[in-house]
Amino acid sequence: MIPLVSLVDAALHFLDPAVLARVLFDGLAKASIYVMIAAGLTLIFGLMGVLNFAHGSLTAIGAYLGGLVMVTFAASASGNVGRIALFFVAIVVVFALLTAFGGAMEVSLIRPLYDRPPLYQILLTFGITLVLEELLRMILLFYDIQPSTDWLAAQGTRPEVISKTHDVFGLGVEGLEVFQILLGVAITAGVWLFLTRTRYGLYIRAGSEDGEMAQALGVNVHQAFTVVFGVGVGITGVAGALLMWDSAWAASINLGAEVLLPAFVVVIVGGLGTFRGTVVAGVLVGFVDAFTTELFTSDIVGFSALPELFIFLILVGTLVLRPQGLFGVEEVGGH
Amino acid sequence: MAISEPTDAPDDGATDADGGTATADSADVASETATGEHYLVEYLRGHVAHAFVVAFFGLYPFAHTFLTGSLVGAEMAMFLPRVQTMITVFYFGLFAMSFDFISGYTGYLSFGHSAFYGLGAYFVILVANGKVPLLGSGTPFMVLLLLAGILAVVLALLMGSVAFRLTGVYFAMITLGFAQILYVFFSNWDYLGSNPRDGIAVLGRQDGFSIGVPYVDSLNMSIGQLQGDTFTWGMDFAAMTGIDALAPISHTIVLGPGEVSYYMVGLVVLVCYFMLQRIVHSPFGRAMIAIRENEERARAVGYDTFRVKMGAFAISGFFGAVAGGLFTGYRTSVAPENSFYFLTAGDALLASIIGGFGTVAGPLFGRLFHEGLHEFLTKEGGGLLPYLRSQLGEGTLNTVIVDGFTVAEAIEVFLNGRAGLYIGLLFVLFVLYVPNGLLGTLRGYLGGTVAGQVAAAVKRRVRGWKL
Repeated sequence: MIPLVSLVDAALHFLDPAVLARVLFDGLAKASIYVMIAAGLTLIFGLMGVLNFAHGSLTAIGAYLGGLVMVTFAASASGNVGRIALFFVAIVVVFALLTAFGGAMEVSLIRPLYDRPPLYQILLTFGITLVLEELLRMILLFYDIQPSTDWLAAQGTRPEVISKTHDVFGLGVEGLEVFQILLGVAITAGVWLFLTRTRYGLYIRAGSEDGEMAQALGVNVHQAFTVVFGVGVGITGVAGALLMWDSAWAASINLGAEVLLPAFVVVIVGGLGTFRGTVVAGVLVGFVDAFTTELFTSDIVGFSALPELFIFLILVGTLVLRPQGLFGVEEVGGH
Repeated sequence: MAISEPTDAPDDGATDADGGTATADSADVASETATGEHYLVEYLRGHVAHAFVVAFFGLYPFAHTFLTGSLVGAEMAMFLPRVQTMITVFYFGLFAMSFDFISGYTGYLSFGHSAFYGLGAYFVILVANGKVPLLGSGTPFMVLLLLAGILAVVLALLMGSVAFRLTGVYFAMITLGFAQILYVFFSNWDYLGSNPRDGIAVLGRQDGFSIGVPYVDSLNMSIGQLQGDTFTWGMDFAAMTGIDALAPISHTIVLGPGEVSYYMVGLVVLVCYFMLQRIVHSPFGRAMIAIRENEERARAVGYDTFRVKMGAFAISGFFGAVAGGLFTGYRTSVAPENSFYFLTAGDALLASIIGGFGTVAGPLFGRLFHEGLHEFLTKEGGGLLPYLRSQLGEGTLNTVIVDGFTVAEAIEVFLNGRAGLYIGLLFVLFVLYVPNGLLGTLRGYLGGTVAGQVAAAVKRRVRGWKL
């Protein structure tokens, strides 16, 4: 499809240090986003084997909740430090509310389905996503916020240091991307500590390797499921709150569908039940996204949806070559 | 992966009067046959339930016209879906059936089923626009449907050869991945039209699409919202001769483009339904159910499960593409969002669960329910909203509930176009409490397939008759 000459051109284009540095940096920022949006999903999928179709709408709800806190209190928190502090308050609020919501959802809706075939959980969460999305749309219309377009008021609460492009060694570095990378690393570290240093982390790791054995050894699986589902949903909401500031994603009702499929891809490519796999897959998808975006923006390939196409190609390619995912164990999840 | 059907799984293979499997019921039938009853009688009796359903759909346009013109016309117009809506129910119902054929019968959730629907839909329009090599833009619609189906079979075999190495959630995900690749591709490929993201419409073809016997003009009827044929049956002698005395014997039935499209699309869907039903009740269909119930055991007793799954997927893809072709044949335009997008398969899933997962006709009724509710809750086509507006009066509508929020605004926010919410709630309730769906539950209640039980009941009633 691409003539040889342009291949050489492309190679030369990426050898330019400025271009290479920018692509790598963009890739890192995108990787952080992909890891964040997949983190909640992978926790739930890893322990419970429930592929949560409501993941996307929960992300959108997180984005709007975070935006609500920011817009309401933005006037009283001015300056860079004040806004960023307020943002962390918003994250805590979103996490608390959505964790409670997720826990309630598990107890009332998901729990009755454990003795049914696993596909019923997909069906149920798919139904939940329809309901949540319509409820969200209704509430937004009630408050005269246009649901299908980006919520600009929330984006406007970005502090100056984040909106600006900084000059670092002659390279233009966006404040937002730095912020995303820092938060991505922080959240990854947080989840990692949760998995390796807490009781529930131990349950998750045990449960994802051999659920029945874990139960036989006295792990209260019911309680662990509720906590894990709650925490997973909470993290999902936090990811949504982070996306609210990014104009490429932004808070809108469509955020749900935009997030859902990439998150699936990252979780499946990484492998069931391994957070390490999710991180590696997120980084892979992030870099491929950055690289293919650069191919398009520098006019080497004239197909605007190249990044989107490649994300799904990665999914199909992985499932063909290594169905259990990059770090997945063959036995797990084979129903 | 087994989608178990707690109530009717055991008797699923055991109650087909028309399938003639070795059961108590059909042993009964066999003895009857031995007493000299013609097999044709038996066959016809097996289809009594189908005859009722076909008669219902056949009379629907007349009933609709009659009821909406009657004294309770406003109420009837509110509840009954329009004929145009019923056409949507037909072609999308067929797509939902094809989805259920693979997902409900073999237990492999084909979440990327929209790939076939989109393929059929785009293929028809692209040929009509002269964008497909070797095929002229005037190729008959029926030929196009067949070719779209064959193309879908090829796609299904390609997808299946990769996807059937996986099971469960992974199968759902890889089919979804394939469908999304096609979706992204068709939303951005500028060969299709000037703005592929917004979809494409038929440009080149003036005479519309017709259903019937290809190459025989008199046996074809055009379908479409605007270009559809009209049809007059009977003769108006009074008008022809100018003699008023002939008025009592002058009866004509005139069908508008909507009605003609309704019958023609309905006819194709009916034929497809019988084909699917026939396959499900054949040994091949039994093998599909065996795979759903216990794939390892099915393999152990000697079925080549991979081939059965591939065959089922190919058949399912074929009918999915036919449904997509009917969709664009009627609508004459298509967008990636309403064809290749994964939520199209989600709608089929919705219809299947509500109608009955693992039943052939269930998805059609599920879709009827969905479309009916949707129309009930939108402004168009005489639903609840115009009715409320005409009945409640200005005073009630302008009553303030809270804080300047009037009743009219509440209706606008909570009811208008909110069918998605109520369908979603209903879907969740169905998954939790009615996992077999409408038809599946009815089947469990009757103790066998509806067609089979109706046949048995008819037989008991008319046992003494000499047919």
